[in-house]
Amino acid sequence: MSRSRITVAAVSAVAAMVVAPAAASAKPIITISGSTSVAPLTAKLIPAFLKSSVGKNKATFKLYQGGSDIGVADVSAGRVTIGEASRDLKSSDAGGIVWNKIARDAVCVAVNNGNGVSTLSSAQVQDIFSGTVRNWSDVTGSGKTTSINLYVRTAASGTQDAFQKLFMGAKTVSSSAAQKASNGLIQNSIKTDPNGIGYVSFDFLGGIKGLSYQGVPCTLTNAKSGAYSAVRNFWMITRGAPTGVTASFIRWVQNDKAAQKIVAAGWVPLV
Amino acid sequence: MNESAAARSERRAERSLGALSSLVLVLIAAMCTFVLLKAWPSFSHNGPMWFGWGGNVDDQLTAIFNSPANPAKWDYTIRTWPILYATALVTIISVGIGIVVSTLAAVFIVEFAPDSAKRVVSPVIRLLAAVPSVIYGLIGILVLVPFVGNHLISEGRKNAVTFVVQLSGASLGVAVVILTIMITPIMVAIIADAFRAVPNGWKEGAIALGANRWRVMWTVVVRSARPAIIAAAVIAAARAIGEGIMLAMVSGSVGFAPNPMDGITFVFEPMRPYAATIVDNAEGLSVKPFGQTIYAMAAVLLFASLMLSLGGNLAKRPLRKYGVRL
Repeated sequence: MSRSRITVAAVSAVAAMVVAPAAASAKPIITISGSTSVAPLTAKLIPAFLKSSVGKNKATFKLYQGGSDIGVADVSAGRVTIGEASRDLKSSDAGGIVWNKIARDAVCVAVNNGNGVSTLSSAQVQDIFSGTVRNWSDVTGSGKTTSINLYVRTAASGTQDAFQKLFMGAKTVSSSAAQKASNGLIQNSIKTDPNGIGYVSFDFLGGIKGLSYQGVPCTLTNAKSGAYSAVRNFWMITRGAPTGVTASFIRWVQNDKAAQKIVAAGWVPLV
Repeated sequence: MNESAAARSERRAERSLGALSSLVLVLIAAMCTFVLLKAWPSFSHNGPMWFGWGGNVDDQLTAIFNSPANPAKWDYTIRTWPILYATALVTIISVGIGIVVSTLAAVFIVEFAPDSAKRVVSPVIRLLAAVPSVIYGLIGILVLVPFVGNHLISEGRKNAVTFVVQLSGASLGVAVVILTIMITPIMVAIIADAFRAVPNGWKEGAIALGANRWRVMWTVVVRSARPAIIAAAVIAAARAIGEGIMLAMVSGSVGFAPNPMDGITFVFEPMRPYAATIVDNAEGLSVKPFGQTIYAMAAVLLFASLMLSLGGNLAKRPLRKYGVRL
């Protein structure tokens, strides 16, 4: 009887060892911190890089966030290998760091097709999304008297971060807004709710009405030309010129066709 | 030892089956340990107040997500009471309504339906039980939520609460309706099977004593199938607690605790249970403290499922002497 018990225990012990984690390897570790907007793009680029011929088995990546300011500060102090920023260089930023542009991103405010509004000023956007203005009767051109339903993104969203920085400035988005997990869900919510308003990447305007911001329509052409103001650059920042695997990663992101395909899927590519 | 060939192959079968079941236990234990290890920092930083209230849970999640890279400065503060309350509400209400509806439906299927209806209804119920929950979620956001938001909720009601929460249709009511529709077919199938397993002699004895068919079903068959009803309720509750995608789409996407004192508006208020919160925030896993908070919610769901199974077993114990199937 004890012999069969030992065999059972041995088989399950072997199975448990198979499940146990593998030993750590000796690859260089690339730490990335900074913008919460760039992070979703980087999170997609890293696995593609590690699968590519240039990047296979070259390094382990650790991705942190914290915001653009944290990224710039961390990389200046040498705490991380790459800092990410979704804002441009400020005069208060430390010297000795190199800013490598990797993509651009456009954000559009959108309403239901039945809503008469066609353009919003920056003050109007801030009032609506912060909850100061709660009824469509207070928004010129809407033709409605119903209450406004806000659709925003969850905390992890880069679009939410862009919206906060590009449109809201110092004001905070109302906490009664419904937090949806994707551009597609926001698009669908606005499509089915006549009182809805939200923001999406310019890819996701099918079936809903993208609003002009300060008079300029939200289109890819306007984003590329710079006429539409709510477009920001994505930067990967290094301390001095990038070297080694870091350099090949950034070069791969900027030039490789596979990387540009990933960028073009939701952002404005560089070329 | 002098064993025959048959006895030897029997022992081989015993050993391999024992090894397989040990492997399943090892996998479950490994999964629970992994989730608990990942979740521990979130629980240890907040203590029991992790389940308490205080502040807006969505703002707290955003603050955790925006933690700086320095591990000493990671923010873990969270009070998930609105999410806990939403999970409990949606599960308890759906399972409650579901048990009543499915018991009555099973009584109809087993006893009162004409044969032609029985032939149609039974396979259809089993088919419904197999529909993926994403389908229900899509029907919810494409059909039910706009209908409720645009036709059932009046402008006056929306304007009355506009400074607290927005009533857009995605709400507790829609979530409960769809969840009940989702969990009822499984319950009907289990309970109907249990009803059919009641010995005919018991039913015939009751009829012989003068009871009509409804009384026979209610006092003999349903009473003896109570352990099966509890088992069905436990399975349905486990499915309701873990339902992530469908609830993420139709329940309102705000960490808000619906207030029963609001009267009818309570049914239209948005909320978001644990599984839906995990689904909505899974893309933030790469930020360590945020990932640990999400794992903490997953640990709560795991624990709740374990307790449900245990509770179900305990509830069936006193019914052992009445029940036909346990």
